[in-house]
Amino acid sequence: MADPRPCVILGGGVAAYGAAEALRAAGYDGPVTLVSAEPVVPYDRPALSKAFLQGQKTAEEILLKPPEHYQRLGIELRLGQRATAVDLDRRELVLEPGERLPFAVLLIATGAEPVRLRLPGFDLPGVRYLRSLADAQALREDLSRAERVLVVGCGFIGAEVAASARMLGKQVTVVDPLPVPLAGPLGEEVGGILAEVHRRHGIELRLGQKVAELRGHRSVEEAVLESGERIACDLVVVGVGVRPAVALFQGSGLQIENGILVDEHCATGVPGVYAAGDVANWWHPAIGRRLRVEHFDNAAQQGAAAARAIAGDPQPYAPVPYFWSDQFDLNLQYAGYPGPWDQVVLRGDKAAPSVTAFYLRQGVVEAVVTINRPRELRPGRRLVEAQARVDPAVLADPSTDLRALAQPARQAE
Amino acid sequence: MATPEGYVAVKRYDEIPEGGIVPFEVDDDERILVKLEGNVYALSGICTHEYAELAEGDLEDHVIYCPLHGSGFDLETGRVTSLPATQPLPVYDVQIVDGVVYVSREPRQG
Ligand SMILES: Cc1cc2nc3c(=O)[nH]c(=O)nc-3n(C[C@H](O)[C@H](O)[C@H](O)COP(=O)(O)OP(=O)(O)OC[C@H]3O[C@@H](n4cnc5c(N)ncnc54)[C@H](O)[C@@H]3O)c2cc1C
Ligand code: FES
Repeated sequence: MADPRPCVILGGGVAAYGAAEALRAAGYDGPVTLVSAEPVVPYDRPALSKAFLQGQKTAEEILLKPPEHYQRLGIELRLGQRATAVDLDRRELVLEPGERLPFAVLLIATGAEPVRLRLPGFDLPGVRYLRSLADAQALREDLSRAERVLVVGCGFIGAEVAASARMLGKQVTVVDPLPVPLAGPLGEEVGGILAEVHRRHGIELRLGQKVAELRGHRSVEEAVLESGERIACDLVVVGVGVRPAVALFQGSGLQIENGILVDEHCATGVPGVYAAGDVANWWHPAIGRRLRVEHFDNAAQQGAAAARAIAGDPQPYAPVPYFWSDQFDLNLQYAGYPGPWDQVVLRGDKAAPSVTAFYLRQGVVEAVVTINRPRELRPGRRLVEAQARVDPAVLADPSTDLRALAQPARQAE
Repeated sequence: MATPEGYVAVKRYDEIPEGGIVPFEVDDDERILVKLEGNVYALSGICTHEYAELAEGDLEDHVIYCPLHGSGFDLETGRVTSLPATQPLPVYDVQIVDGVVYVSREPRQG
């Protein structure tokens, strides 16, 4: 049946891509327009800090699909066009430089934007943030000339950029206020393993420290830490987190609270308006709390879930969130819910490293992390999905077959 | 027993464990055999996202998962069931003759 409602997907990330594919797969045959501020079709953003920055892949090679693909799907592309205003009553967007784009259904997939540091000197040339392909192109260019790179913030993106810069032979220093990097999302033990890998590869870590200011004449030349230490650098990359890209929707009538609030079907409180991906704070029905996830897999799947709801086939969106990070030859994968947890159980070899970590809350497996141990990820994920209770001693025992452990958990679902 | 035309002999059926992923090569091309519920599937051995050997991956519900970033491919068709890969995995035809698994040289079309 022909669906005449024009649908606008706002955003050009993987949530938008997942939605575009799933809308058509679910049989939505109304007009669909994808509007993105970026001048390029959706691409593999995670590659920006890794394969792309290291020069192993070109911009073209990281496109999720070539532009013709959208033509085949019958999806109109409005690339390089930022929406600057929205009117949910009249149901239209205003695009730069002033064109009005009407919609019946709107999917907000505007993602997230880097938090900017407003400290002295952070406006100097030679200070970079990394979110878009354009950012990555500029950074890659700068890196080709840089010798000493300072990375401010050792979150995933900071840690990956530091690793890539080091792999390119740069001198790299990383400053982070936490005594153990990534202790928030991964806990101190696993964060410590990552820190050790970075040290072993020759990265200078300044942990438990903050940058007070940057100095330089024409461009950045040194950083001054709050401790007074001065670090010479000719390139600074800031990775201090992101926030959901909601500015456009302030005062629009949508509920905004750490992202755009949506229900388990990705629907906002305004009929016909949905949100998915990094920008969406949704009600997760299986765990009975709200989540906003800043990872690729969630964006792809939530975009698709929103599309199915738009196409008339809503299903509760209740995934076990998943992400990965690659740093040097280390591959980390995480399946599970964000903390808090009250116990972390490790098995494997921390020095190699080849480790699986289980995160428990009141005895229930809430998350699993594998470091260079991919075969334990999916069985671990099954334990999370089943909200299994497993004796920590059994989890810690490397001779325990996780697969066998996960089997009954699965049957009991 | 003659090899079927366009096929290569890979392994004896009995040598492949149930639920196992067995790597093999045809003309330097890395591939895998998977045995599940008694059926044998042949697919390309390298993920279509970045470089990863699927023989190191994992099976769940008729999907093979890449060991690095969770891309999933349907065993039967090679269709992508989860990103980041967006290109399907080439799949090959399998024939079992007299207890020997033969795999087509060329990938199955479409
Ligand atoms: C360098 C880097 C490395 C990463 N590595 C990993 C990783 O290894 N693993 C992992 O799981 N995740 C990783 N992530 C996170 C992952 O990329 C994000 O979770 C994912 O991109 C979110 O997708 P999204 O579609 O929700 O939003 P985004 O990808 O942020 O896309 C939002 C899109 O909307 C557009 N937009 C925003 N506002 C407007 C507007 N007003 N008008 C028009 N267009 C607009 C933006 O230009 C952009 O195209 C990484 C992120 C970065 C930046
Ligand atoms: S290499 Fe297989 S998912 Fe990335």
